[in-house]
Amino acid sequence: MSELSDVRAEQQAADIEPDGAPQAKVEPDLAPTPRPPRRLNIIGRRNWFFALSLIVIVPGIVSMATRHFALGIDFAGGTELTATFPNHPSLAQVQAAVDAEGVNGSVISTGGDGYIIRYPPLSATQLTNIQADLKNRLGPTNVQQILTVGGTIAGETIALSLLAVVLASVAILLLLAVRFRNVPGGWRAGFQFGGSALAALLHDVFILTGIFSILGAVLHLRIGEIDAFFVSAVLTVVGFSVHDTIVVFDRIRENLRVSQRLSFEQVVNLSIMQTAARSIITSFTVVLVLTAILIAGGSTLQGLALALLIGIVSGTYSSIFNAAPLLVVWRRVQPLR
Amino acid sequence: MQLVLSWPVRLFVVGVLILSLFVDGAGYVYRIANHYPLTGQVPGLPPNFGGWQLYFHKGLDLAGGTHIDYQLTNFPAGQNRADVQQRTIQVINKRVNALNVSEPEIRGAGTNNDRITVDLAGVTADQAQKTIGAVSKLTYTKWVKDDKVQAGPQPGYKPALTGLTGDDISSATATIDQNGTSWVVNVQFTSAGASKFDNLTRDAVAACPGAGQDCPQRHLTIWLDFTQKDIDNWEDPSYVAKLSTRYDPGCLAAQGPDTVCGKFLTDPTTVEEIAGGQAQISGQFTQQSAQDLATGINSGSLPVDLVALDVTQVSATLGAESVKLSIAAGLLGLAIVVLFMIVYYRVPGFLASLALLFYAGAVLAVFKLVPVTLTLAGITGFILSVGMAVDANVLIFERFKEEVRAGRTITAAVDAAVRRAWPAIRDSNTSTIITCVILGFVGPSAVKGFAITLAIGVFASLVSSIIVTHNLLAIVMAGGSFRRAGLLGVDRVRTV
Repeated sequence: MSELSDVRAEQQAADIEPDGAPQAKVEPDLAPTPRPPRRLNIIGRRNWFFALSLIVIVPGIVSMATRHFALGIDFAGGTELTATFPNHPSLAQVQAAVDAEGVNGSVISTGGDGYIIRYPPLSATQLTNIQADLKNRLGPTNVQQILTVGGTIAGETIALSLLAVVLASVAILLLLAVRFRNVPGGWRAGFQFGGSALAALLHDVFILTGIFSILGAVLHLRIGEIDAFFVSAVLTVVGFSVHDTIVVFDRIRENLRVSQRLSFEQVVNLSIMQTAARSIITSFTVVLVLTAILIAGGSTLQGLALALLIGIVSGTYSSIFNAAPLLVVWRRVQPLR
Repeated sequence: MQLVLSWPVRLFVVGVLILSLFVDGAGYVYRIANHYPLTGQVPGLPPNFGGWQLYFHKGLDLAGGTHIDYQLTNFPAGQNRADVQQRTIQVINKRVNALNVSEPEIRGAGTNNDRITVDLAGVTADQAQKTIGAVSKLTYTKWVKDDKVQAGPQPGYKPALTGLTGDDISSATATIDQNGTSWVVNVQFTSAGASKFDNLTRDAVAACPGAGQDCPQRHLTIWLDFTQKDIDNWEDPSYVAKLSTRYDPGCLAAQGPDTVCGKFLTDPTTVEEIAGGQAQISGQFTQQSAQDLATGINSGSLPVDLVALDVTQVSATLGAESVKLSIAAGLLGLAIVVLFMIVYYRVPGFLASLALLFYAGAVLAVFKLVPVTLTLAGITGFILSVGMAVDANVLIFERFKEEVRAGRTITAAVDAAVRRAWPAIRDSNTSTIITCVILGFVGPSAVKGFAITLAIGVFASLVSSIIVTHNLLAIVMAGGSFRRAGLLGVDRVRTV
């Protein structure tokens, strides 16, 4: 309850100007930007934005905790055969042929005459026999791709991927702490900036992994399977999200210097407003490119493109609506002046 | 900022532009220089410019082929693991040569020298594994009298199994002999092999006594994959003729029931009884032929066992399809970004698009020059970096609008925009590069290509957006005819 009334008080304090008044009067102390085009009170409504994030994150975490993930072949291990059959067998026919082989194969249709058949890891001889067998039962077979991943490699890929994510997070925290140690407050302020950026970053990672857990393990969609590509998507999103956050924080740093008379909340809100256009435009160009890959890039890349798309939208949202507001909350809990 | 706008920097940019145009268009330069048509097959591609072959190195997922990671197990005790790994790589190389693969890649890997990675373009996993994993069994034969044999290496004699096999050999190495004059092959036997070999050589000398004798009984011949069936067919001259040709692993890998393949390795004469398990094969060896023979003997006894950890086979059609789709996605993405930048930022957007094209051209040239092996993930990293490349420009242009609104002149606004946007550009790109470096070092191998191309892309985009766009802006704005609000995407312009 006290939380709620706190929000209102904060809102009144920060609402210097009415929302949505585009041509607001020029404030003399806001140089070098005397006429900001629009003024939204993001800091005042921060709990709404935190809540919106939680609405997406919580189901994702529940799904990850209870259903885990649908693992692609490079994490799960096994043999995957991608082929087209010019004789147009139906899915049932292909499944019947695979069942008759008695090696626990499962069949996924990829549209047209294309099928993906998954087996437990097969040896070279077994694979040769199975290909011959498929040819006998289903006619000519155009094998497009065969992947066999043993348990050792699958385990290593998982371990390396986790290591990469952890290392990247630590490195980024340090980078931010070093870069922002020269704001008023020194190293402690630096770690506040770094920590807030890290929280926004974890937000994006959880949104992305949560959504993929739901897509793969709850909805059983093939695009929701996670593989090594997914890991590179997560790391790219990590980099990109920090990209956006740094731009906002950099502006806060600059405005803290030039606008001494504003409160910390006001500086943060102003900085978000000044950089939001850039963040949205940049993400928009990347979203355009990713949409191009999603449409034209073929099935191998679609999972990667979707993951990047989700992550980058989330990254832009979190850098505007989460990272800087978190910084404000942190400052209130642990004042530096 | 003065430095960015100086003449040396501009000359450098023009130089990079010319070089990348040349590298990107190397194939066309070659065609034009040799009066070939601009499309279709022509001989001599990729062109060779004084040792530089300029073309895109395609990974297996684009070219089609087979990738295998092998785990080496059962290392022989007491031998240097790195040496064993190297020897295994040589043997695999030898076997793979039979497949006629262009640029086979066989690399050592693993933290403990216990992995070997094999990349073979245009080969199915089946062929590759049969050829590499084929356990070619080495066999020593002696010669026994048989009057029905008319032809073959020793007319009047046929071979007999001796019980001495590849299991009895621990290694073979090519080296210079004690006199330092000619190449020889040293064969080291195991202790069991040493006594068998001792007996064989003693019998061989006893069957044909006298120093310097060279009669068939003195020959101990080494074959690979030699069987009793081969001996049974010894009276058939054409069979023997084929069998007695050089060992042919490719033929043996693709062997049907009735094909006869070369299985012969070497046929040295026993000069004296050899005890102690150290034999030396001498002859008219060159360095190459001595090493070939050593590898041949070793290939019968691969020093380790190979276990395939993962196998990837991509068909050439799927690879070609992927290339087509990637190019389409890349061009589509580039076109969308260019269109958006021009509509939203007008003249500066157009200049940024020019910088973007410069960037794309330069990065592709780097891919050819380094060379970076392009995989599907790598191309995605590159396409993604096109989207990120405009980021620095967007930052500068948004700042530019603010500075113009704040009442600065155009020239001053460009300068201030670049200067004030720089810390954010620097920090944010550093974070992406850090991620890429981490991915490149600890990431799983499938995503390393992605990290490399993204890192190159981010770095090049920094150069292009800071240096190229800024210079273009400065040059165009110096003219004055573009200083109108509508062209600059700002509300109003101070015209002083």
